[in-house]
Amino acid sequence: MPVVELTVNERAVRVDVPGQWTLIQLLRDGLGLLGTKEGCGEGSCGACTVLVDGRLTRACLALAVRADGARVTTIEGVGTDAALHPIQDAFVRHGAIQCGFCTPGLVITTKALLDEHPWPTDHDIREFLSGNFCRCAGYNLILNAVRDAAGVVTEKR
Amino acid sequence: MDKLPWLGASVKRKEDDRLLRGSGRFLDDVEETLALHLAIGRCPYPHARIRRIDAARALELSGVETVLIGEQVVARTEPITVLRPFPGSAPTVFHGMAHGVARYEGEPVVAVAAVDRYVAEDALELIDVDYEPLPHVITVEDALRPGAPQLHATVPGNVVVESTVRAGEPDKRLADAAVTVDGTFRINRVSGAPIETRGVIARWAEDTSTLELWASTQTPHLLRAQLAHCLRMDETDVRVIAPDVGGAFGLKIGVYPEDIIAALLAIDTRRPVKWIEDRTEFFRGAAHAREAVHALTIGADRDGALLVLRDRYLIDLGAYHGPLGPPLLTSIMLAGPYRLHDAEIHRRVVLTNKVPMGAYRGYGQAESNYVREVLVDRLARRLGQDPADFRRRNLLRPDELPFKNVSGATYDSGDYARGLERALSRVGYETFRTRQKAWRQQGRHVGVGMSCYVEFTGYPSSAFLGRTGARFGAYESVTLRMDRAGRAALSTGVSTFGQGTETTFAQMAASLLGLDPVDVAIHRGDSQGTPYSVGGFASRTMIAGAGAIEKAAGQIRDKMLRIAGHILDVDPAALEATAGMIRRRDDPSVQVSIQRVSEAAFLGHPLPPGEDPGLEATAYFDPPSSAFGYGTVVAQVEVDARSGEFALQRYILVHDCGTQVNPMIVEGQVQGAVAQGIAAALFEELVYDRETGQLVNGTMVDYFMPTAADLPAFELDHLETPSPVTPFGIKGVGEGGTIAAAAAITNAVCDALAPFGVDLDRLPVTAESIWRALAGARAKG
Repeated sequence: MPVVELTVNERAVRVDVPGQWTLIQLLRDGLGLLGTKEGCGEGSCGACTVLVDGRLTRACLALAVRADGARVTTIEGVGTDAALHPIQDAFVRHGAIQCGFCTPGLVITTKALLDEHPWPTDHDIREFLSGNFCRCAGYNLILNAVRDAAGVVTEKR
Repeated sequence: MDKLPWLGASVKRKEDDRLLRGSGRFLDDVEETLALHLAIGRCPYPHARIRRIDAARALELSGVETVLIGEQVVARTEPITVLRPFPGSAPTVFHGMAHGVARYEGEPVVAVAAVDRYVAEDALELIDVDYEPLPHVITVEDALRPGAPQLHATVPGNVVVESTVRAGEPDKRLADAAVTVDGTFRINRVSGAPIETRGVIARWAEDTSTLELWASTQTPHLLRAQLAHCLRMDETDVRVIAPDVGGAFGLKIGVYPEDIIAALLAIDTRRPVKWIEDRTEFFRGAAHAREAVHALTIGADRDGALLVLRDRYLIDLGAYHGPLGPPLLTSIMLAGPYRLHDAEIHRRVVLTNKVPMGAYRGYGQAESNYVREVLVDRLARRLGQDPADFRRRNLLRPDELPFKNVSGATYDSGDYARGLERALSRVGYETFRTRQKAWRQQGRHVGVGMSCYVEFTGYPSSAFLGRTGARFGAYESVTLRMDRAGRAALSTGVSTFGQGTETTFAQMAASLLGLDPVDVAIHRGDSQGTPYSVGGFASRTMIAGAGAIEKAAGQIRDKMLRIAGHILDVDPAALEATAGMIRRRDDPSVQVSIQRVSEAAFLGHPLPPGEDPGLEATAYFDPPSSAFGYGTVVAQVEVDARSGEFALQRYILVHDCGTQVNPMIVEGQVQGAVAQGIAAALFEELVYDRETGQLVNGTMVDYFMPTAADLPAFELDHLETPSPVTPFGIKGVGEGGTIAAAAAITNAVCDALAPFGVDLDRLPVTAESIWRALAGARAKG
């Protein structure tokens, strides 16, 4: 069985990975990181979005063995035990979470957006978020949270 | 009790922290060691005889534990019961697996339990099922034709039930009406499409000889009742646990075939059996919704007073009664918010070879609102009246409420015209009409459409449900218990699927017990350790739940006051519970903490003579009536009259859901429902090919759910008329946002294209459907 060495949430790990595994299986079944959710398994819904070397990646489509040597950030790597990340905090304040199944993917996507565009336009925000389905909250509350988070995160720089 | 301190406060949601950290525990996050994984072989045809199943090669595959086929399932189980059948319905025998004949593409035919899903799926490939395709029907019209293929021997002519609701003298009114208009409308088949698919883990608990079922469900107790019946078990020998549920929308009500299959395999193998629905299965197995065809007529006198409504409609049930049954609210709410005394509503529930229909947010109400409000606009146009004026004239006034509508529902309270006026003023209606003329001269086609609704929320008593044949009650229940630290634990059978119940229930309990919501822990969704519960659907949980919490918390509060009175040597009647303390109303310095009172109850001393230890109460509350929300949507669109392309420029909803427990959660419920309403109006449709009977677009790539880039900002406004008939004046709010979307947008497009005389009569509204309607109008000349 192939062995994959990678960094997940700043921690170096070594995982035995069956050849057919996808990255989400490596994270969930291999490492017990259950925060990343699978909503469709076909790359459509965005619930499984993680960062691989800073790039937005659908963990349900990426092959696990391809993650060898990569730096992966999952929802467990956002915020600390003591405090939520400003993005997460904005989601709370704007009522942007309902069932919460799509939320980890949306938070990760927002993080990538703000890493790439510290001063995002509304068009940037909608464009970035258009790869993540949310079925409960109706997007506007999420967009408000992201606009707010952009202000907070950018100011901190 | 004075004003409740946390009622009406936008308290941050208790659910959010875990969900944001990825610590929410959804079905697939429930760890079961040594679980077998289930894969289900599904019928690839819309209608087929299953002549033979040969699983010998699959059973030889390494890692396969067992195979289950329909013959075994049918022999060992009862058919799925219908929770809320249309009165008089013929049964459609629906088992956990097809045996003999399969009736829709996707119906389970065989199942494999194996060490992992890969092996289970590989094993399915090795099972030889000999199908004989049978003639199929995909549309309700085809299903009703003489000589049409028959789906069930118990249902001659494919009509499950045919019935008529009549009020007043509809024939006479139709004859009297100065103007009548009619239209035939097709409502699209859609899916609630939660982002978490369905899933189940079944486990036989050897130690207690009980079945445990983890399920992604919005009704743990009803699922348990239905599952136990199917399995011929006592309900108390089945435990159902709903973890965090990743969206439900009505689709996760009741038992599904896969629950039965997983349970049988767990019983057989004595190992946990896990099934996570994949998205391809989802579109072919989880309930579809809404599809119907209406032929509606309405009439008015010369002045524009609405006189009569007559509807003949067909509900496309799919191949079986699903666990809930078809929507009864279509008929009940067809008359809407208008002063109407005469109506005839004739409905038929018709079988087709498609996935069984189930509930979807606004079940029945979105359907009837669409057909009525679109036709109301046509009637206004025919009368030469402005559609707003027509509605102003016919909306029920507050002094006419309570009002019993033509189908027997009693609207409790509200100011319907106020909602309409508020929405119209927001769009600047009078100014808009002036500008619209100018735009038309410039060749721009901008239109405004409106849609008024009144919404049935909650159920009017268990007795009412019983009289109409429902197999569940209208009540909700809680157990409340104080712990030694002075915190409360609230147990409810309602599961958590995004509706914020953990937060709103905690707000209610905290308010009544003198605590902070942070100090109310919520235990939910487990049939064991929670009192009998109906579950979260029909915009009923907050209404019924608030009543149960009021009763249980009242009992605990009274006992806390008695104990505190004993400790303080004060008459309990002089005390109040507030901010974690029990204190004298007239002298707050005389006080004792709720923590100390709770500890006394826990230790059993000091207690007043004759007082039992403990601070715990279970209460049930059965609402005496439904509460009716209402609102108006005004939509503005601009249409390209050459291509039919259009932009939804503004979307305004003014609504009234009575007392708001948590305005931020209300806002979220409305925002989400509006998005789903617009989605079904503009984007989504499950398309079946009439020739092959196949679902054409059963993936998330082909089923066009909107993204963040596809919807405008919604302009929401809240009115607040407390209901006189519910605890604290609460009305339901989860569904209302879906109801008025399709009609408002359709009316806006038709208004924009009024110079062309365009009528739209099907959903979704797309550039193509508009272009075709324009071409049709031009051809007519």
